[in-house]
Amino acid sequence: MALDEYSKREFTVVGTRPVRQDGIDKVTGRAQYGADFSLPGMLHAVALRSPHAHARIKSIDTSAALALPGVKAIVTSADFATNHDVQSVQDHCLARDKAMYDGHAVAAVAATSAAVARKALKLIKVDYEILPHVTDIETSMKPGAPIVQEGRRGRKVPAHYSDNATGFCEFGHGDIEAGFAKADLIVERTFKTSSTHQGYVEPHACLASVGNDGRADLWCCTQGHFQVRNLCSKMLNMDQSALRVTASEIGGGFGGKTTVFIEPVALLLSQKTGRPVKMVMTRDEVFKASGPTVASMTDVKIGMTKDGRITAGYAHIRYEGGAWPSDTIYPGAQCAFASYDLEAVKSQGVNFLTNRPLQAAYRAPGSPQSTYAVESVVDELCQILGLDPIDARLKNAAKKGTKSSYGPTYDEIGLIPLLEAAKAHPHYSAPLGPNQGRGISNGFWFNFGGETAVSLAIDFDGSVTLVEGNPDIGGSRAAMSMMAAEELGIPYEKVRTIVADTASLGHNEVTHGSRVTFAVGLATIKAARAAKVEMCRRAAMVWGIPAEAVEWENGAARAMGHNAGEHEPMTIEQIGANSSKTGGPIVGHHETMAEGAGVSFGVHICDLHVDPETGYTTVLRYTVLQDAGKAIHPDYVEGQMQGGAVQGIGWALNEEYIYGKDGRLQNAGFLDYRIPVASDLPKIDTVILEIPNPGHPYGVRGVGETGIVPPLAAISNAVSHAIGVRMSELPMSPQRILHAIHSKG
Amino acid sequence: MVTVTIWGSLRDATDGAAEVEVNASTFIEVLNALKANYPGLTAQIDRGVSMSIDGLIYKDSWFTPVRPDSEVVLMPLMVGG
Amino acid sequence: MQYIAPATAKEAASLLHASTGIARVLAGGTDLLVQMKAGMIEPDLIVDIKKIKGMKDITPEAGGFRIGAAVSGTELGDHAGVCALWPGVVEAFELIGSTQVQGRCTMAGNLCNASPAGDAVPAMVAANAIARIVGPDGERDCPVQDIPVSPGKTSLKKGEFITSILLPARPKGSADAYLRFIPRTEMDIAVCSAGVSLTLAADGTCTAARVSLGAVAATVLLVEDAAKAIIGTKLDDASVAKLEAACSAACKPITDKRGTIEFRTEVAGVLARRATRIAQSRAGERT
Ligand SMILES: Cc1cc2nc3c(=O)[nH]c(=O)nc-3n(C[C@H](O)[C@H](O)[C@H](O)COP(=O)(O)OP(=O)(O)OC[C@H]3O[C@@H](n4cnc5c(N)ncnc54)[C@H](O)[C@@H]3O)c2cc1C
Repeated sequence: MALDEYSKREFTVVGTRPVRQDGIDKVTGRAQYGADFSLPGMLHAVALRSPHAHARIKSIDTSAALALPGVKAIVTSADFATNHDVQSVQDHCLARDKAMYDGHAVAAVAATSAAVARKALKLIKVDYEILPHVTDIETSMKPGAPIVQEGRRGRKVPAHYSDNATGFCEFGHGDIEAGFAKADLIVERTFKTSSTHQGYVEPHACLASVGNDGRADLWCCTQGHFQVRNLCSKMLNMDQSALRVTASEIGGGFGGKTTVFIEPVALLLSQKTGRPVKMVMTRDEVFKASGPTVASMTDVKIGMTKDGRITAGYAHIRYEGGAWPSDTIYPGAQCAFASYDLEAVKSQGVNFLTNRPLQAAYRAPGSPQSTYAVESVVDELCQILGLDPIDARLKNAAKKGTKSSYGPTYDEIGLIPLLEAAKAHPHYSAPLGPNQGRGISNGFWFNFGGETAVSLAIDFDGSVTLVEGNPDIGGSRAAMSMMAAEELGIPYEKVRTIVADTASLGHNEVTHGSRVTFAVGLATIKAARAAKVEMCRRAAMVWGIPAEAVEWENGAARAMGHNAGEHEPMTIEQIGANSSKTGGPIVGHHETMAEGAGVSFGVHICDLHVDPETGYTTVLRYTVLQDAGKAIHPDYVEGQMQGGAVQGIGWALNEEYIYGKDGRLQNAGFLDYRIPVASDLPKIDTVILEIPNPGHPYGVRGVGETGIVPPLAAISNAVSHAIGVRMSELPMSPQRILHAIHSKG
Repeated sequence: MVTVTIWGSLRDATDGAAEVEVNASTFIEVLNALKANYPGLTAQIDRGVSMSIDGLIYKDSWFTPVRPDSEVVLMPLMVGG
Repeated sequence: MQYIAPATAKEAASLLHASTGIARVLAGGTDLLVQMKAGMIEPDLIVDIKKIKGMKDITPEAGGFRIGAAVSGTELGDHAGVCALWPGVVEAFELIGSTQVQGRCTMAGNLCNASPAGDAVPAMVAANAIARIVGPDGERDCPVQDIPVSPGKTSLKKGEFITSILLPARPKGSADAYLRFIPRTEMDIAVCSAGVSLTLAADGTCTAARVSLGAVAATVLLVEDAAKAIIGTKLDDASVAKLEAACSAACKPITDKRGTIEFRTEVAGVLARRATRIAQSRAGERT
């Protein structure tokens, strides 16, 4: 069997819960986040942002601002090199001929202090021609709506939509009309979700320093510094190798830090001034001008027989992802029915433009919105037919051999065991009080792998330095150290994992797609195996026996076969100490395009109480069940599961982008953009199932994203049961719930 | 010959066929054959696609083998959060 | 920008009076500094009143308590006497912000910030609290409900500021309560709120009441019809329902990002009813 395939084994380090190595730095303040980097002679940059939702920029007069003492440079989009590959990202960073949304950067100033730079902003004169705007999906899709960008209509878009429709996709198999004909009950509904922000605590921040020779360094807070390098080098027309990017510690990203906003602008300003330039977004700017997730409007139609078999499913999803085309409709349409084994299924997606910031990824991008609609209708069918919602899901659940709604046939997957565990969980049978409701939902996400490069050095004292290239968002350095320690048979404390800059390793795909523990873990294990082979070879040389006669076990090389017993095992410390004399430094490394990430499912159960007089919802109890393949560090797996649930609770109950009639964002701050506070939440209970992924040596599946998929429907279903009215719009703010209660009559 | 499943909105390039047959033994040969036989697919393939081969999703591995009995599904390029 | 921390109230008043640009009093700074950071206001003069003698004192006066203008939420909450006499005012004040904000914020600051949603204000109005004001012309007293005149504006004249707030004496059998509605459990701004102060006779009959509402009009409302609905009753359900209806009828809210007219109008009544019941049970323990 090839070494990288899964094989069952006992673990000593994997599965334990050691302290994360970056933990002390983070709680003592020693850790360096994006805004913590400074250099001598550094300038401070701020952006001038459009107050209009949609306006043509007729001219920008920077002369008065440039004359202000302390102002060193001003840039606009004209300063960028032309590069069609990255045009929309670039136009989002600095508006080209139109300001596309409230908060869109139109220019940026670098000055000797932030105060001077802010003063200079007031001196820049922008002549705007205000254009009609559209900020909501319902208006955007109708013929006659203001058109955000001309000439972007998708070729296959249904004719009844406005020219804001930029893309169309369709997935599925079977004959849905025939399927609906077999149903005893069909439920058809439209659902809406608002755009929500990832809500990371750390605002975007960077420090750029471009040298006189054109070579540059950039420090920034990002999920993927290689991606930052590639995007910025294109925009500035430089060699990729000329730009070295170092990722800071990261205070959350959730997908929102997979692209660039201020980094190319800071680089331009540094290029222009020859001085280091620091740029830090305010919270207001983060909300207005980074990338929230798509808002949605989805029609779902599902047919079911009396005994709970789904006969056909149809979803028509519409996503609004800001002023440039986005592809989130694809995973949206693919994931909608991915939990089900269906004979007939069709899901369609249409993307619309609005005068809002370009959407960015947010954990399992596109899946929560479409899953919410489907899982709500499944719940309603069960309710009307008097079926237990878990039994009905079990009856239709995807399993090994199921042809998925997006095409491929599933291998080993964990949905049925998860549903069975949910049914058996004490939470599911606990009694409910008055005005309380329970909701459940499935959720699915693909997970993936991608480009990965790691290097693992055996140091002279036998301790180990592991170098990887993915910013650590959820404890991945600890997980990598654990996998290296496991493979080498040494204590976890002997491995230090660092996240290297872009000049130190080959390209690493962004920390997204739940890929890191899977893909970087796989590369770590292979790098450790390469180091073991080399260490065995060194021992064999010392012993004067063939390398094949040496095996690695418990941190030492051991002579095997007829040589067994003739030599004392040679420890990693001994081999490290002699490495110079036996052929030089010992480094295992591995570079790969990691494939074979296993798909992931989750099941959530939510109990809540609704105050019938105010519409106020209290989440009473919440359980997340998820398949982790193999939980390397169970604390961090649980943390991902709990975090997904908490973000889902916020999304379901209170979070939303609120735009005024003037097209301006009204709640660009944590006061009125209401993410849950700690006291809003119960303890989120977790159950980890381990159904090994055949594509990873230890069986790891990604766990980072699936957790945000089920909460929307689980909570909506619970509210619907608590108040006796089917909810179909998020967020379920108190006023929306109270209104629904009154509509009951 | 390998059977490749085409997602719904691309089927106007395959005369409505959900499944097409191509002569190929690797990931890249599948893509090249699709482009040659169904030029309407070229734009999408050049923008980037993933491919599921026997249930595993590959983003861009040209030389991944494809057997005549493999289940091959063309998929959009994946992104994640 | 000039920052001055005078030692006397008189000095503070004359500085404020003499200033030609934008002058602001600084108490806890939990509104003012936030507004400055957000670029909403750029004062030319800041007069910090925390160094003025007596500003942090809580002094018994004629059966009530005089609360210095720099007394923080934490300090008031630690004062057993005030907590016993005016539990509703203390609970309203303690709702403001977080532990950190509680260490700085003041009732006078909450009042003079003049937000219709300020939490301490409805409770103070229900308590019939009296603000003591010092200005260029000397000292004057003014009922709290007459201080805010519109969002962000007070009736204080140039050079005037509040030095203390009097929470008056009250008969046996009295208590108060304050409730606000927010979509979360903390760190939020009232969508609507209600303060109720009442006095019960030994037989449970309500002999006096003041009912106030926050965030349902441009300024805090004192709803006399609501008080009338319960005075003279034993707070039977029908009377309290009348109080609720009177409160909803008095609301003149707007629809904004935090709530609709309909929601505020309805829920303000619900909160007033619930606060009445809490005040009733607190008072019942004291008759
Ligand atoms: C994180 C956070 C959470 C918050 N939560 C709440 C909440 O839940 N509920 C709520 O109501 N508020 C809340 N606030 C707002 C604020 O904390 C309160 O309004 C507080 O009571 C203000 O008091 P202060 O002493 O800090 O006022 P300052 O900021 O010092 O002053 C506020 C205003 O009043 C003026 N002023 C202050 N003292 C006087 C005086 N003695 N005489 C005349 N004018 C004066 C100032 O010039 C200024 O214009 C919150 C603020 C923050 C930052």
